Amino acid sequence: MANYSTSQFKNGLKLMLDGNPCSIVNNEIVKPGKGQAFNRVKFKDLITGKTLEKTFKSSESLEGADVMELDMQYLYSDGEAWHFMDPDSYEQYALDETAMAGAINYLVEQDNCVVTLWNNNPISVTPPNHVVLEVVDTDPGLKGDTAGTGGKPATMNTGVVVQVPLFISIGEKVKVDTRTNEYAGRS
Amino acid sequence: MKRRIYGTTLDFGNKDMAHLLKQSLKEKSKLIKKIRDFFYDRSVTEVTTPALTSCPITDVNIDSISVRVNEGIDNVSTLYLHTSPEIEMKRLLAKGSGDIFQICQVYRDNEHGKRNFNEFSMLEYYRLDFDVHQLMNEVAELIEELGLSKQVVKFSYNDVFARYAGIDILRTDFKTLKSFAKENGLSNGFEWIEDLQMFLFVHFVEPKLKQYPICFIYDYPAQQAALAQVEGWVAHRFEMYLDGVEVANGYQELQKSEDYRERFQIELEKRQALGKLVSVIDEQFISDLSSPLPFCSGVAIGIDRLLESFT
Repeated sequence: MANYSTSQFKNGLKLMLDGNPCSIVNNEIVKPGKGQAFNRVKFKDLITGKTLEKTFKSSESLEGADVMELDMQYLYSDGEAWHFMDPDSYEQYALDETAMAGAINYLVEQDNCVVTLWNNNPISVTPPNHVVLEVVDTDPGLKGDTAGTGGKPATMNTGVVVQVPLFISIGEKVKVDTRTNEYAGRS
Repeated sequence: MKRRIYGTTLDFGNKDMAHLLKQSLKEKSKLIKKIRDFFYDRSVTEVTTPALTSCPITDVNIDSISVRVNEGIDNVSTLYLHTSPEIEMKRLLAKGSGDIFQICQVYRDNEHGKRNFNEFSMLEYYRLDFDVHQLMNEVAELIEELGLSKQVVKFSYNDVFARYAGIDILRTDFKTLKSFAKENGLSNGFEWIEDLQMFLFVHFVEPKLKQYPICFIYDYPAQQAALAQVEGWVAHRFEMYLDGVEVANGYQELQKSEDYRERFQIELEKRQALGKLVSVIDEQFISDLSSPLPFCSGVAIGIDRLLESFT
């Protein structure tokens, strides 16, 4: 991969940092009144998901990371791996539990997810912003409560627990925002 | 080119700009008047000094913009736009001007970053018999007078480093500081310790200053003295940060011409090592200081950044 110098830094650029592929979240050029210019950069580590901050001298450079984000369809899980397919090439990719991380909570077969590949190996997956899940367990709600003033925990078919309005009952399908784990309406 | 007037970015393609412009200019002019009133009330004399100078600035990290000037027929010379009115104002101080202030446009080459511009407005002023702490207090009063009544915090450079980086920056030598940078996964390829100190400041300290509306940092390491008086480990210098943005830079000023010559020389040698434009020492300035500068402190305040924090 090519090297990128600080003058080429921009949001979304994928670079290698301490052996891990990272994406630039924020790049700020700081020039103290009496000093030289520096780049203060916020990165997201694409493997661990952690955010890190690092400052660079101008003219420093980093190796680019061969990272691609592809839309893929979730096919199925065999218990050890989760299988996705690139609808363009029909190529299938298997993701392990580490790469799946929190996405497991929102996986619905046939849904389109974004799979991140590093050197053509899948390293993470982002589910759609909204998914439709089925309530498999929740306390019975109060009859007649349709205003949704209160809330109660409900377990979904994927295992994730979401706060839902009191009127939601077992067997119902609800829309969930995967970024906030919040109830987003009845399906 | 980025264009702005007193912190307002001008975008004449924007239809909403017309009425906003008038309102914004009015507000800004009121603040400028308040700044003037502040100094007139304290009998500080307003001055205007030449923006065209014969020597570029010696500062290692500040570059002058050169201009070609016809000083008569077939008499072309290269002059330089001032990067701050410091040198010209110090000529006045040495000749007995007393307390002076100036609001002017200044010009710098090779500026980058979203808060840096090739042209910006500066308030620069000097107070006789003020030490650096008295000047800091007066800058705080000015800020309050302009309507920013927030809590003022002050840290010494050493304290703020101890707090946010866990090191004794004044007493850490270059080699140890390089190891410290490396341990923290940062570059340590610096020629001079002051550059590494500034780098670590930008990384560890500056982001933390965002929590303070008005924050003064004083007692800089002697290596970062610029044109400030030095006493032991520290230079009598301060900076003011508003919401984490560097807005002012003040010194308890050097007085003797030989001290200026020495500092200029050091800066020029560093410029040479960096392959930057190297000028000669402004001998006229040195001779204007044949009677030394009176004991005084001076500060440069970025007006655009200052006014931005009022909007």
